[in-house]
Amino acid sequence: MRLFKLIVPILISIMLIVVDARFSYLDNFKRFTLTLLSPVYFVVDLPSHIVDWVNDQGSDTALLVSENKYLEGKLIELKVRFQAYSNLVLENQKLTQLLDATYTIPEHQIILAHVKSISQSRLKKQVIINKGSNDGIRNTQLVVGSDGIVGQVTQVTPLYSTVLLVTDPTQHMPVKNARNGIRGITKGLATSDRGMIVEFIPLDSDVKLGDIFVTSGIGTTYPSGYLVGKVSKIHKPPNDAFLTIVLKPIQNMDKLEFILIVSQKND
Amino acid sequence: MTKNNSLLLLTKITIIALIVGAISLPSILEIVSPFWMLIFFIYWIIYTDTKALYLSALILGLLTDILQGSILGQNALALLISSAFIFNVKKSFYVSNLTTQQVYIFIASLIYLIALISTHIAIQGFDFSWFIILSPFTGSIIWPLVRLLLAKLKH
Repeated sequence: MRLFKLIVPILISIMLIVVDARFSYLDNFKRFTLTLLSPVYFVVDLPSHIVDWVNDQGSDTALLVSENKYLEGKLIELKVRFQAYSNLVLENQKLTQLLDATYTIPEHQIILAHVKSISQSRLKKQVIINKGSNDGIRNTQLVVGSDGIVGQVTQVTPLYSTVLLVTDPTQHMPVKNARNGIRGITKGLATSDRGMIVEFIPLDSDVKLGDIFVTSGIGTTYPSGYLVGKVSKIHKPPNDAFLTIVLKPIQNMDKLEFILIVSQKND
Repeated sequence: MTKNNSLLLLTKITIIALIVGAISLPSILEIVSPFWMLIFFIYWIIYTDTKALYLSALILGLLTDILQGSILGQNALALLISSAFIFNVKKSFYVSNLTTQQVYIFIASLIYLIALISTHIAIQGFDFSWFIILSPFTGSIIWPLVRLLLAKLKH
């Protein structure tokens, strides 16, 4: 009888593992339970809220004024750069019409979110952000930092979302070499905090150290043109048809604070 | 300990274990940190008259899976098998000195780790950081502190 009491829950666990790994039937149950458990995230994040509040209270007015002036200057600089970008978009539209091409630069919506200091599974590389379905976040949306790609939204609750980092081994992203357009697919490395490899690039391809890879936009999940990583190592395996290319993410994953969730405007 | 008290202690232990497990640490420390839910649950198994042990292990394991974003059932399976081991040595554990208890904690954490890694390998292959094998050591090292804190919580 005691063995029976043990065997039944073990079988239930194994069944759940198989179902959850292969199918998505349990997603709604997980989302609902995670919503109920959200107060745990709030409690864990409370000390950082308090520290922020204390820092805000103790901030010197003169320091805030000078910081504000610096940020205003940065904003003007970015606005000027954005004008150049807008001109390029207009030029692209004209050229597209002239060439009768179907490609257009997609317009994106962005939502700013804050990365929470909450730990996740030690077998996965994920972070929790302070925006959820109440803010319009949905599964599979792309997440970018100030320097490049961070990852993808994998789970959403009303107040929080989970982002699977691009360096996780289960994360695959279609990319292309920004220099010559050679395409491949990235895969994170579990053994390294800051590594990814690019798969399916033939041996005779032109790839050099320092080349930048960006999202290729193949498929509908990821918008194109966002910086992913820089080539840090190239290896030509003698018995393989493809190069082994190691990328170092351009975005520093250790210092994530604010991130942007990107979605196409017609999403 | 009455049934109500046992349930109350289990509730407290669950909440604390979920909160402690969710506290963010530098990446290496996070990988080598103890299996908090297991260690807290062991205290409950040893120092209370456990009823519905395996059902409790299943539910707590599933809550851990959901909160940590793991595959559903992964931590539940590991917690069930480790709990079965601890339940079998419960009497010996109860009367043992602290060092022997730490050895039991180490073995239970090792069983937990093997179950966790086995399911991970079955689903995703050998993609994980090898630092994780240090978790049973940290679990056994932290046990005296956990025991002390939970003893205060119990009263």
